[in-house]
Amino acid sequence: MRVVKVEESEIASWTRTLRQRQRIVAVQEKDGHFVFDDLKSAEDLRLDHDVTLQPPLRFFLPEKEQLLSFSRGGGYRAPESDDKPFVLLGVHPYDVAAIAQMDAVFSSGVEDPHYMLRRQLATIVACDVETPSKNVFAGCMGTAVVRDGYDLLLTRVGRHYIAESLTAKGDALIALFGEAVEEPTPWDLQRREAVWQRNRQGLRQHELDCPPEMLPRLMALSYDDKIWQEKSQTCFSCGSCNLVCPTCYCFDVEEDVDLDLGSGQRVRLCDGCLLEEFAKVAGGHQFRSRSERYRHRFYRKASYMPQRFGFVACVGCGRCIDACVPGIANPVEVYNLLLERHPEALEPATAPVAVGAAVATAPAPAVATASRMVSPTAAVTLEPLAAEQLLRQGAARPTDEFAVTDPYVPEQATIVEKKRVTQLETYYKLRLESGRKLGHKSGQFVQISLMGIGEAPISISSGPTEAPTFEMVVRRVGNVTEALEAMNPGDTVGVRGPYGTAFPISDLTGKNILVVAGGIGLVPVRSAIQEVLSHAADFGRLTIAYGMREPRERLFGDEIAKWQKLPGVQVLESVDRVEGGPWHGQVGPVTTLLPLCGIVPSRTAALVCGPPVMYRYVLADLISMGMKPEDIYVSLERRMKCGIGKCGHCQINGVYVCQDGPVFTYAQVKDLPEALS
Amino acid sequence: MKKPRVAIFDFAGCEGCQLQIVNLEEELLSLIEIVDVVEWREGMSEKNPKFDIALIEGSITRPEDEERLRDIRARAKVLVTIGACAGTGGVNKLRNHMDQKVVGRTVYGADADKSFLQVGTVRAIDEVVPVDLQIPGCPIDGREFTRVVRTLVLGGEPHLPEHPVCVECKRANNVCRYEYGEVCLGPITRAGCGARCPSFGMWCFGCRGKVTDPNVDAAHTVMASYGKTVEELEQRLALFGS
Repeated sequence: MRVVKVEESEIASWTRTLRQRQRIVAVQEKDGHFVFDDLKSAEDLRLDHDVTLQPPLRFFLPEKEQLLSFSRGGGYRAPESDDKPFVLLGVHPYDVAAIAQMDAVFSSGVEDPHYMLRRQLATIVACDVETPSKNVFAGCMGTAVVRDGYDLLLTRVGRHYIAESLTAKGDALIALFGEAVEEPTPWDLQRREAVWQRNRQGLRQHELDCPPEMLPRLMALSYDDKIWQEKSQTCFSCGSCNLVCPTCYCFDVEEDVDLDLGSGQRVRLCDGCLLEEFAKVAGGHQFRSRSERYRHRFYRKASYMPQRFGFVACVGCGRCIDACVPGIANPVEVYNLLLERHPEALEPATAPVAVGAAVATAPAPAVATASRMVSPTAAVTLEPLAAEQLLRQGAARPTDEFAVTDPYVPEQATIVEKKRVTQLETYYKLRLESGRKLGHKSGQFVQISLMGIGEAPISISSGPTEAPTFEMVVRRVGNVTEALEAMNPGDTVGVRGPYGTAFPISDLTGKNILVVAGGIGLVPVRSAIQEVLSHAADFGRLTIAYGMREPRERLFGDEIAKWQKLPGVQVLESVDRVEGGPWHGQVGPVTTLLPLCGIVPSRTAALVCGPPVMYRYVLADLISMGMKPEDIYVSLERRMKCGIGKCGHCQINGVYVCQDGPVFTYAQVKDLPEALS
Repeated sequence: MKKPRVAIFDFAGCEGCQLQIVNLEEELLSLIEIVDVVEWREGMSEKNPKFDIALIEGSITRPEDEERLRDIRARAKVLVTIGACAGTGGVNKLRNHMDQKVVGRTVYGADADKSFLQVGTVRAIDEVVPVDLQIPGCPIDGREFTRVVRTLVLGGEPHLPEHPVCVECKRANNVCRYEYGEVCLGPITRAGCGARCPSFGMWCFGCRGKVTDPNVDAAHTVMASYGKTVEELEQRLALFGS
């Protein structure tokens, strides 16, 4: 760490020198506002900006980027990165705090190689705020001043800048000032302290009426508040609040097919949870209405992210307020209104459980303000490349090993068997080209990938055996599943996974197993049934209650016939209506079967899977029969896109279906309002 | 794989959308590799009674148009409209707000009463026959057009953005037109144009029609907070018939 003082006029020549060595992305003026952009001339640099239209996040997570490219004949590969080291110049403290938060997101669990590479290539030059923007409230969020998370910090004091480096990369930047540096006097440092004091006090165009650490508690009390309906009446669902937010990182994945139809690329695009398409699944079911989408953003920032990562994901930049045409995005206004309505949030004794906390497997991290988060904790775990090396080297290319472990690049698998099983569903048996077994557990899913068409999350329907193959039954509801239908044995598809949680079959030994499946819900639980049957001696009775709309939708008929003949196994079936075929089972919803199952609540574990509407009734009946929520397992479906807890699409309140699910205990999800609605 | 047969038809419009197709130049050649264009007045002289995909430009303004359109619909497996005139009625629809006699006299002068110049209410294609897909815009975006055709050829269901133009303005680092005191239709207009007009300093004219679930009430409500009136908004909306 080094602290020096330079004359204001030195900044331009320093920038010129730096520009000869590295790409600089810096704050510049555009149409009376400010943007981060490639710096073409040192004269264009502005360090007196109020706020930039877009946060610097776009230089780590671009609006659009390639995840892989594919060519005629089915080959595909990870993109070759042409990213070079760059200096991000003029980052305000609140954005520094946001970058540290994004580091935590993209480095946790399965690392995102694209983000991490750019992050490693970046040198961050922060600068303290000289001109407050009209909606900044960083002072309330503890992000008006940061003392970590940057390589170099520039603070203007009079006609000088104090430059402070924290890293080797920062030291290298100071070295570029050459002879121009002076030793700062204690008076200079006092003046810098005064700038910080001014900003802590001053960057408060909106005053939050509670410390940010209290927000998760407030949110836990506010889920059903009428504010979400009221405010969202004038919401355009335009996603502007998302798209300018430095902590909004959700993305969508799309195929970009070239004109010859044989080649193209898979890209990810910045997305926003306010947008109409965000929570839609294949088949068109919309999981969140306009007001629910409006609410979701506030919960993500002030409840779900704190639970998962330990910080309130709002740094007070005020960009959402600037960008919202109807003027409903102001978080401070929303939180203050909620505080008025729920003053008990400030009483520590009544601390309620936060929405979605039930699934947290580790103890929930203590909530920190964004600035405290920037302390050298898990958030900043990046290995800084040697600064000198960075200043000299050209493009840093990912190694082959890097590409191989890219979680967005699927493995190839061959279709070894295909069978149409109903009008809508087809059975597939797949084998990975590498010959390794998939290694999945019952209830997990894979992302099936067709180059040029897209990806779809598909449940694995076979149990975890030693076989090098795995099976799935796919309902045709979208482009991927339709295209899969056109494929034949010998054709190859891409596979990512297995992903998600499993039915914990080995923990259920000694119990009776009750399977309740509705329609295509039999597919994921079939894996569990097979696992139970392969260790039948370890379990009590296996009862399968299988409901479907019509007889012709019946799946695995041959297998059901075999199951029925096994000792200790009972299969009960029902249809909603007897049409399209002979029927010998019950008529009515699947719940009509439950009283016939002879459930002994204390000795039974239930595995439930079906369409959203089924859960409500089945779960209510099981509970009224005396079953405990922790003995009931459900498998939920959402729009899983990335599979590794990054893209945000499959989120149910605070949990990610792709990681925390798809298998949950009912105890985990019964208090999640979005889970079973 | 047999190439799908494509026919392009036009009704009342400026033919600017067809021109966009012609303007694809090299891309057009690649497109012809994957489809068989069997009828296209602006691009070729042949005609063919059989086709799989009908692309329709222009709005319906005369009784004989309706008859012709129904015939095309009956012969097409997939009917796709191209452009604002076919999609929403387009600028032609402005006429519906006026006295038809005045319109006739203004355009045709003394000839306005001649029988073959009698015109009726302007309608979008989907106000006359079922439409499978609309490619919006005035004119259409060439890239979107080729993407839709490619997806159709691949057997997929083409997907148009369901979100508004604001998304693309943010991506383009544009300053919001409301900050300039303009009535911009971006918040309720379907994206896909890359926020072309705002990126060049104009408000969004709404040529791509409304988003899937437009909050028009909100648009009415926010007018006052920007010192604008609902009438100004309605005028803007009327331009492209939505």
